This record gives sequence, C-alpha cells and structure tokens, in this order.
Amino acid sequence: MSAVNIWEKMLNIDRRWIFLGIGVVSIVPFFINFGMPVRTTREVESIYDYVDELGSDNAIFISFDFAPGTSAENMPMAVAVMRHAFYNDIPVFMTANYPLHHGMMLAAMEYVFNPTTEGFYEDVDFEDWKDLREAGVTGKYELIEAWENQGNQLPEGALGWVFEGRDYAALGYAPVFNLVILGMTVSIETQYPVDAHGNSTGEMPMLQEHKSLREVDMALTSSGSGACVWWVTYAREKMGLPIAFGLTAVMATDYFPYLQAGQVIGQMGGLRGAAEYEVLLTENGITPSTDKAFRGMDVQSAAHILIILLIIMGNIAFFAGGFHKKTLLKGGR
Amino acid sequence: MKRTVPLMIVMVGGILMMLQYFIPHQISQTVFAYYTDWTPIIVAFALVLGVGSLTRIHSHKIRRKAKNWQYSYAVLIPLFGMPILAHLWPESISGGMDSPSIFHFIFMHIQVPIQATMFSLLAFYIASAAFRAFRAKSALATVLLLAAVVVMLGQVPIGELLGRWLPETGLWILRYPNLAAKRAIMLGVGFGILATSLKIIFGVERNWLGGAGK
Repeated sequence: MSAVNIWEKMLNIDRRWIFLGIGVVSIVPFFINFGMPVRTTREVESIYDYVDELGSDNAIFISFDFAPGTSAENMPMAVAVMRHAFYNDIPVFMTANYPLHHGMMLAAMEYVFNPTTEGFYEDVDFEDWKDLREAGVTGKYELIEAWENQGNQLPEGALGWVFEGRDYAALGYAPVFNLVILGMTVSIETQYPVDAHGNSTGEMPMLQEHKSLREVDMALTSSGSGACVWWVTYAREKMGLPIAFGLTAVMATDYFPYLQAGQVIGQMGGLRGAAEYEVLLTENGITPSTDKAFRGMDVQSAAHILIILLIIMGNIAFFAGGFHKKTLLKGGR
Repeated sequence: MKRTVPLMIVMVGGILMMLQYFIPHQISQTVFAYYTDWTPIIVAFALVLGVGSLTRIHSHKIRRKAKNWQYSYAVLIPLFGMPILAHLWPESISGGMDSPSIFHFIFMHIQVPIQATMFSLLAFYIASAAFRAFRAKSALATVLLLAAVVVMLGQVPIGELLGRWLPETGLWILRYPNLAAKRAIMLGVGFGILATSLKIIFGVERNWLGGAGK
C-alpha cells in the first residue's frame, strides 16, 4: 500500500468510526468522574451577583424558553437560578413561551422539589396553606413559623420551604408570548388570571406585591431560540427591566452585542455557563454540591478533544498526502 | 376590495402600533390593551384553521392509501389524543396535565427523549463535518480553523489545564472580533427588517397576500 493511499484512506475514513468515537467519549466520563475545575467568567458572575443582591422584597422571572432538545444546556441554568432565588427568598415567576416549554417548566419544578435531588426545596401547594393565607399570614418568615407551628416539619435534606403563590408562581405558557410580555408591563394578572395549576393568581401574595413587570427586578430567559430577544425588546427597552440570558452554546456567540451594549446584565453560554453558575452556588454555600452541568463538562471536554484530534488528523493527511495540490478529493461515506 | 381591505387594515394597524409605542398617553395605552386582547383571539382562529387543514390532508392521505399513509396516524393520534388526555380525560383515571397523569407520562417519557435524541445527533454530525471541512486550504480557512480550535478548547475545563491563555484567548475572540462581526450582521438585518416592515405597512410589498395582491 503506497503512502498516498494511507493518507487517502485516512481522509475517507468511514464516518461510522467517528460516530463510534463520539459515542464512546460521551459515555465514558459518566462512569469515570474527572471533575475538572471550571473557572467562572464575568458574564456569569454578573448574573450571580445581581441575583445575590436581591431578597424577599424583590421578585424575578425565569422564562423557560426552550424545548426538550436543548434542555441539557438550558435546564441547568434555569434550575441554578431558581435554587439561588429560593435560597435568598426571592419570589420567582415562571413562564414559558411555547406549549412544549411549559413542560420544561414543570420538569424543572419537579427536579428542584424532588426529595431525591441533593439540596431540594420542600414545596407547599397553594391550597395547602389556604387557611394561613385567609388568616392574613403571607410574609415569608411568619408563614414558615405558622406553618411549622401547625406541626409540619422540614424533611431531612431539604434546604427550605417554598410556598406556591408566595415564593413562586408557575404561570406557564400563554399564546403569542411577545404580546404577553408587553401585556405584563401593565399587569401580570391580566395576562395570567390563573396559573399552570388553575390557581387564581389574584389571590397570590406575590402577585399582589408585584403587579406588573415594573415591580419585578430581573428576568432570566433560559432560551434555545431567538425568542430571548423578546424580553429585551418588550421588557428591557420599554420599561428598563434587567434581563439575563441563558443561551445554548451555539447561540451564545450571537448575543454578545446585547451584553456589551448593557442591554443584558449577563449571559450563561451553553453547558459551560450553567456549570459556572453551579460552581458559584456551591462555592458560596447555596447548594451542597455542583449539579448536572458541572458533571457534563467532562463529557464536553472529551468530545471537544476528540473533535480537535480529528481536525488535526484530517489536516495532517490532507497535507502529507499532497491533496492540497489537487482540486478533487473523493468524498467520504 | 379583496386587496384594499387587508392592505388598509395592515397600514392602519401598523402605523397605530408604531405610534402608540412612543406615546405613553391613556388613549394610546387603551389601543394597545385592545390590540393585546385581539391578537390571541386571531391566533386561536389560525390554530383552528391549522388543525383543520392538517387533519384534512392526513385523513385524505389515509383514505387514498397514499405513499407512507401509515405515518399519518402518527400525526393524527397525538394531535387529538394529547388534548383529550389533558383536558377531557377524567382526572380520577390519570387525566390532566400535571404529574402523575398519562399526558405527563407521555410528555416526559416519549416527547422529551425523542427531542433530546434528535438534538444529540448533532454532536455526531458536527464531529464528522468538522473532520471533513476544517482544512487549512487557504489563509482565511486557517484563521477560521485556529479560531475554532481555540474557542472549542477555551470553552471546556481541559483547555484551562493545557494553558491559561487558551480560555482567555477564546473569550477575547468571542468578546471582540465575534462581537464586531455579529453587530454588523445584526445592524444589517435590523435595517432590512425595518425596510421590509415599512414596505408591508405602506403596501409596497404584497407577497403576504398570497397572490391575491397581484
């Protein structure tokens, strides 16, 4: 076999070998935990710092603007900010700009409230604390006290109580979401008379305290599409609501202009951005350990290294085989 | 009349919405509130049309046993099955959207894995495409290749272990050259959208009439 043939064979490698390689490097790190360090960047730190400054008098929106396809990247971002907000007793409004994204919102809540999740929050349904609400007990700390006085005990491993309607409102999907954002600049309740579970939003203490986007302090859009810009166009530009982006890695490069122009306070780009937020949460004692995004960084490291090795291999074969002098090269399978 | 009425609606509606955005007066806000109320209603009608059209096409395909007619069942059964399970199925036998319900189970265990799998396939194709496409054939291709390698390594922890300069250079590429290029593209797209919108509002561009404007 001549040398040229070896290079040609290398260039025309059956792509199924490449697929196999990607498959192997994607699976192995799940079994062997490398735990490589993730350094935080100012784009993510700025979101963390902003949320960290807020408290129970403030409120934020987390918009689940992604479908299951990008949930590996977008879900950890939304979950990380949600846990940060719950830790700081910041009321969280949750929305979705598409019916499928509504399911992602419910899945995120299920994860954060699930007792098998390390550092979960114990959820109290809106109906379950109706008596306290009717008795006028709506402040977070007096509510916890009254709730525990009723004999309720925080389960072992839970980081705290979250009361539906006081600490979070799962508003969910509403059609023509850009107009919903516009409408919420006037009134949140008008756009969402009931939440995703059929509860009347007008009866929720957090909606009585934060009636429109003008009384909200930040919106994070964890987005897998260009819909994240709606928040900038209709909420940031119309009435100055601070916006934070959580974007997939392929989208992240597109939105740096918004960051530099000061139209968004920060941006989490891809799994890396979510992992950075998880690191910040853990370093500051907000969560007991890092979560899925941090674990996924090992997989991403291995996959990126393999792709770079493939690129190097391809270029070596390309030049060593003298193909750069030729105009035609057979395509691979 | 067939052309004039839609063109007038678009022109009046477009100009009104443009003006109201900049006028914080009560009347302007009322117009805006009406608009936000109307739009979901119009969208609801569009949804009825869409579902009707989809049902008609696939029923027709099944009746005529057209090519791949079996797949039409895969469209029609979930199209009607999921709303029935979510809204009409009794909650006493696992109806509704919340967990635990059949709707939720199907969403979490069929829809989510299917979509995640489809998106995951990208990693395989990107690896194959990168191997074949990233060749240093010219000076520009070499710049692209080097930028891609630096950004890829800079985005993952292993890049940090190889050298601190890698993530810093990767971030520099994203924050400056990438930003400048993206901003130029965005400005171009923005002006394009503005020009096209004005052409539609003033009736110069009539393709949206779907042939009725000719």
